[in-house]
Amino acid sequence: MQKRQQKSRPKNLNLFTIRLPINAVVSILHRASGMVLFVMLPFILLAFQHLINSQETYSSLVQLLDHWFFKLVLIGMAWAFCHHFFAGIRHLLQDVHWMTTLQKARFSGRVVLWMVGVSVAIFTWVIW
Amino acid sequence: MLIQLLTNKYPGMRLWLSQRLSAVIMAIYIVLLVVLLLVKQPAGFKDWHTFVSLIWFRFITFLFFISLFIHAWLGVSDVFKDYIFNKKLRAYLQIVVDILLVVYLLWVSIILWNI
Repeated sequence: MQKRQQKSRPKNLNLFTIRLPINAVVSILHRASGMVLFVMLPFILLAFQHLINSQETYSSLVQLLDHWFFKLVLIGMAWAFCHHFFAGIRHLLQDVHWMTTLQKARFSGRVVLWMVGVSVAIFTWVIW
Repeated sequence: MLIQLLTNKYPGMRLWLSQRLSAVIMAIYIVLLVVLLLVKQPAGFKDWHTFVSLIWFRFITFLFFISLFIHAWLGVSDVFKDYIFNKKLRAYLQIVVDILLVVYLLWVSIILWNI
């Protein structure tokens, strides 16, 4: 009886027709940006090491990052960082029950996406 | 009482709390770092070197990276638990991540020590 009921429940897993609400978008991007940052960790450490090791390593790092391709990589990383940072602060605030109604959560989600956009735009303007 | 709550009653809470605490530490550090960079505006190798060689800066940077590795360990474990259903594969991947994070911690220690 119960089995039949479960079977007849409607299911929609077609990725092309699912439209994620904004809270889900902010949440899944938080996860995705976290994974991006984890994968980039060794490169961040390598860059940090080159930055402060010696004059030669510093110059080689600056020269490398001047290339347009690495600037694009930097912008991608800036996006991942900014999204993880702002969405993370939003999650922390929700943990202490701030702005948890659906309406307010949608609003804070929009605020996060805007702040990420503006920060990445400023970052791009500064490095280019 | 808190210990009781976090160990016996809700064991998962400890991981949950670690992730939040490490997040708060990192957020404070990041804000501080951005303010410091805006004030000092280091340009060139010498500026950067003097900037990072301050002992308290190295100390809080080390704290930041410890938080980061704890945070990353918890986050990546959660992602693995959600998407990798083969338990054996998940366990192996987790070991790889564990080893990587320990290596990163040693690496950061060496970098900060040698400034």
